[in-house]
Amino acid sequence: MAARESGRIKDANQKRVLDDAARKRRQRKALEALEEDNFHDDPHADLVMSKKVPKFQETLDSRGVGRKKKTKSAEYYKQRFRKTFSQLVEEDHNYNPTPPNYMSAQSQPSQFPDRHFCTVCGFPSNYTCIPCGARYCCIKCLGTHLDTRCLKWTA
Amino acid sequence: MSSVTYILDNGGYMAKVGLSSDTPKLVPNCIMKAKSERRRPFVGKQIDECRDASGLFYILPFQKGYLINWDIQKTVWDYILSKECCPANLSQMPTIVTEPLFNFPSIQEAMTEIFFEEYECQSLLRINATGLSCYNYRHKNPNTKCCLIVDSGYSYTHVVPYVNGVKIKEAIRRIDVGGKLLTNHLKEIISYRQLHVMDETYVVNQAKEDSCFVSQDFYKDMEEAKLNLENNTIARDYVLPDYTTLRRGFLRKPEVSGEQQTLRLNNERFAIPEILFHPSDVGIQQMGIPEAIVNSVKACNEETWPHLYMNIVLTGGNAKFPGYKDRILKEVRSLCSSEFIVNITLPDDPITYAWEGGKAISKDPVFSNMVVTREEYEEEGQALCYERFDV
Repeated sequence: MAARESGRIKDANQKRVLDDAARKRRQRKALEALEEDNFHDDPHADLVMSKKVPKFQETLDSRGVGRKKKTKSAEYYKQRFRKTFSQLVEEDHNYNPTPPNYMSAQSQPSQFPDRHFCTVCGFPSNYTCIPCGARYCCIKCLGTHLDTRCLKWTA
Repeated sequence: MSSVTYILDNGGYMAKVGLSSDTPKLVPNCIMKAKSERRRPFVGKQIDECRDASGLFYILPFQKGYLINWDIQKTVWDYILSKECCPANLSQMPTIVTEPLFNFPSIQEAMTEIFFEEYECQSLLRINATGLSCYNYRHKNPNTKCCLIVDSGYSYTHVVPYVNGVKIKEAIRRIDVGGKLLTNHLKEIISYRQLHVMDETYVVNQAKEDSCFVSQDFYKDMEEAKLNLENNTIARDYVLPDYTTLRRGFLRKPEVSGEQQTLRLNNERFAIPEILFHPSDVGIQQMGIPEAIVNSVKACNEETWPHLYMNIVLTGGNAKFPGYKDRILKEVRSLCSSEFIVNITLPDDPITYAWEGGKAISKDPVFSNMVVTREEYEEEGQALCYERFDV
């Protein structure tokens, strides 16, 4: 007679479990997605502007004729002040390292514990998916999670 | 000096603009492209002319609350100053323009340069929107010395204490949660749970504005949301706009839907604004608004504490969620010592409150000492702006 053993523990070793680094990477990606302006691509990206179509940069001289100074184009300012957000933060950090500054103003972690919600239905959850660490609240939601998200699109 | 001032509260999503003799106009501070109209990008308020706003593509000048894309901003400003929107000859009147807290030096310089050299401003005041809100509050309540502005906008939320009209920089707290993150999160969960709306930022943002509220008792509302439809006062259907018969969606009681396409919103309705109170719900390890308020007050001089708790002002678009003020009051009350009186003001229009502050400040006798004139700029350049503008 075979020794009694738990099916759950036997299977546990065969399951792929994401390590901490991969979980953090997933989390960071999710947060980056929340900062995106758009999810889809520019709907006009494939559009070839014909010459007849006025480009929106063009200023139709609204400030009267006879102006001595020519207004500079939007493109000019784009080139002139070109700096990315991370460049600006780094520059600020070097130039003005003592608080208070942009970095120091960020609020600290909360003193209250994290709350957990089912990633499928959004209700409070008590369980954690073993392979990926996502939260779920019931067997039904776990099923949905395993079928759709768990270990899929793994970064 | 002329008696009117041009006031531009240059928000990350919405610019609030107008002459001080007038009321403010809300102009989207972005360029949008629609799937339905292939030929034309919509700048600012032009989007109102767009018949089909599905699948709108946004091009924003701001990133994380700071001005990054200058070509876009220049295009939008040109539009704002044109006949189409809110025309003015800036060389004839003073200008007030707002900028974010801890604005980076190179952005400050670029703004000063554009306003003086491109728009040939007569005189300029660059100031934080929270500074204008503070001025507005003290203007309406002349005996208050301190106030604490909670500005929750599109890009983030700031808690800023002011003592005698001066902000206490060490005590400013930023929470990286704003309207954009809330909309994106709502988009994400709707797309996972029922209908793919990832491309519909504009529509989902409206759905958020029309349906979401701040819960007063979160776990109780969660239990309520679990009930079946007959007994559930939270579950609602949001009828989506189809842009033929319906231009903007609306909320209604759940019913077996006929022809219209709907979203069933249940715990989403209050779980979304909840992120402002618990950013850790989406994995942002920062304090929520009430905790940040208490934390910020504690970073100030102890003798100002009672005054700050007495004068909390809520501004920014997120302040329009129903229940926002009551929830903050309830939580701040329970977090701070019982010896303090907590009093919170929610203005009639939290979005234009800073703009109205600009209107009030432009009538202050000291206003002419706060601005930098074009002559001064030409004489002394950027250095004087750093000296005079405290951002």
